[in-house]
Amino acid sequence: MRAGTANSAALELTGVTKRFGGLVAVDDVSLTVRPGERHILIGPNGAGKTTLFNCITGTFWPSSGQIRFFDVDVSRLAERDRARLGIGRTFQISNVLVELTVSENLILAVLGRDRRKWMMHKPFADLGAVADSVGTALATVRLDHRLNDPVASLSYGERKQLDLALALAMEPRALFLDEPCAGLAPSERQRVSQIIGELPDDITVVMIEHDMDIALRLAERVTVLHQGQVIFEGSPDEVETDTQVREVYFGSG
Amino acid sequence: MPERGALTLIFVAALVATVPLFAGDFWVSLTIKILVLGLLALSVDLLLGHAGLLSLCHAAFFAMSAYTVAILQVRYGVPMLIAVPAGLAMGTLLALVFGVSVRTRGVYFILVTIALGFIVWGVTYRWASFTGGDNGITNVPYPAIGDFQITSMTAYFYVVLLVVLGCVLAYRTLVRSPFGLVLRGLKSSESRMRSLGYSPLRHLYVAFVLSGFMASLAGVLYIYFNRFVNPATAHFHISVEAVLMAILGGTGTILGPFLGSVVIMVLRNWVSGFFPYYMTLMGLVFIVTVLFAPNGIIGLVNSWRARRARRAKTTDAVGTEPEAQPRPQP
Repeated sequence: MRAGTANSAALELTGVTKRFGGLVAVDDVSLTVRPGERHILIGPNGAGKTTLFNCITGTFWPSSGQIRFFDVDVSRLAERDRARLGIGRTFQISNVLVELTVSENLILAVLGRDRRKWMMHKPFADLGAVADSVGTALATVRLDHRLNDPVASLSYGERKQLDLALALAMEPRALFLDEPCAGLAPSERQRVSQIIGELPDDITVVMIEHDMDIALRLAERVTVLHQGQVIFEGSPDEVETDTQVREVYFGSG
Repeated sequence: MPERGALTLIFVAALVATVPLFAGDFWVSLTIKILVLGLLALSVDLLLGHAGLLSLCHAAFFAMSAYTVAILQVRYGVPMLIAVPAGLAMGTLLALVFGVSVRTRGVYFILVTIALGFIVWGVTYRWASFTGGDNGITNVPYPAIGDFQITSMTAYFYVVLLVVLGCVLAYRTLVRSPFGLVLRGLKSSESRMRSLGYSPLRHLYVAFVLSGFMASLAGVLYIYFNRFVNPATAHFHISVEAVLMAILGGTGTILGPFLGSVVIMVLRNWVSGFFPYYMTLMGLVFIVTVLFAPNGIIGLVNSWRARRARRAKTTDAVGTEPEAQPRPQP
C-alpha cells in the first residue's frame, strides 16, 4: 500500500464536497500539498476547515470528490486504515485518553499501527521497543517529566501537547493539526508553536490556525476557506495583501 | 515468577481454602456460590470496568452452558468430559452471536443486551419439551471422570476454588496486556482511538466473546454445584445481580466483583434467614454505594490508603533518613 514516489504530492484533493442535508459544508475543494510542506488552512468560523479535516482523516467520507494521500486513493477508506497509511491528527478540543496515564496514552498511540495491539499474554509494560518511541514523542513535545502521571492531572495546555505527542508517536507521514493553540495561554502558545516549528522536515504538516502571527510564521503555503470554498491559495506574503481575503476577515469597508 | 499482585490473589485464595476447616456445610456451599457468581460478575466487569460497556445479558451465557451440560448429561447420558467442553462451546457460540450488540453504545447497548437476555430466558421457560420449562432439568449427576466421582461438597469446593483461581490469574494477564489497555483506551475516547488506527468494533467484539466464555465457565461450575437448572438461572435478575456485584466491589478491579459477590450473597442467603426485609436492605446498600463510594469497596479502601499516605508524607517531610550505605562485600 506504500505507493508514491518522491515527486508525488503528499495530499491531493480534487473536487471534495461534503453535504449535511441541505448544508454544503465543504464545496468543491481542490488542493495539493507537497511532501514536507507546512500548509496552513485559515478562514472564518464555519468556513468548513474542520469538516475538511474530518474528510481527509476519515471521520466521515466526502459526499463527492477524491482524496489522494501519497498517490493512494483514501476517499473511501476507514479512519483506522488512513491512520495506518500515516495520517496523524490532533483535535481542536484536546482529545486524549483522560482515564489513563501519559505513558499508557502513548503506548496505545505506538501500538495503533502494530499487530501487537492484539497481544493478550504479556503485560503492555514489558514491550521494550515501544518505550523508545514513547520517550521520543514525549521529548519532542516537552512532556518527558509527566511520563507516569495520570492525564487527569495535566493542564489543558499539557493535554494539547499530549494530543500532538499521540499523533507523533504513530510515526505519521503527514500531520493534521486542528487549531493546536486554541484555548491556550500566551506562554503556552509560544511553546506549542515552537514545538510545531521544530517538527522533523520529512513530516508534512497541514494546520488550521486562527492566530495569524503563529500561522503566518510557520506557513509555507496558505489556503483560505470561506463558506466551504477555497477563495485563496498562495504564500504567506500574498495572503496579507489579497483584497478578497481582507474582505472576508475584516469586512469590506 | 509471579509478582506481587498475583501473589496477593494466590494468598487470598489460600485464605478462602481454609473455609471448610472451620465452617460447616452451609458456609462452604455459600462460599461456592460466592465464587461462582463472583466469576460471573468478573466476566461482566471485563466489559463494564475495562471496555465501558454495561451488559445485562450475561445470565444468558451462564444459563446456556448450564442447560447444555444438564441436558447432555441427564437426557443423553453424555459423560462430563464431553458435556463440559460442549457447554463452554455453546455459551461461547451464543456470545459470538450476541456480540453484534457492540455495534451500539450507551443506553442502546444496555437495551439490546436486555432484549437478548430475555430471548434466552423465554426459550428456557417456554420450550418446555426440551428445557423442562418451569421445572427445569433435575438430577444432574455428580461431576465424574470415568469411575472417579466428586460427591462431597468440600471436594467440589476445592475444584471450584482452583478453577476460579486459574481463571482470575488468566484474567489478570489479559487486562494487563496490550489488549486490555486498548479496551480502556476505547472506554476513554473511541474517536481518538480510531484516529490512532484502532477498530473499536473488532476489539470490543473479541472482548464480548471472551467475557461470554468466562460467564459460560461460571455456568458450568454452577450446574455441577446446584445439580439442577431452571429458567431462574437465565433470568434478567441474575444479569442485574452480576452488574451490582461488580459495581459494589469496584469496577475495573479483580477482587472487587468477588467482594461484591460476598456482600450480596451474604445478604441474600444469610441475612434473609432472620431479616425479612433483606431486599430493602440490599437496595439501601446499593444506594449508599453509588452515593458515597462510586468506585465500590476497593475504591473506598484505595482512597482511604491514599489519604493516609498523604498524611504520613506531610508529617515525615522534615527528617528524611540518609540512604543506607551498601554493605561491604565479605
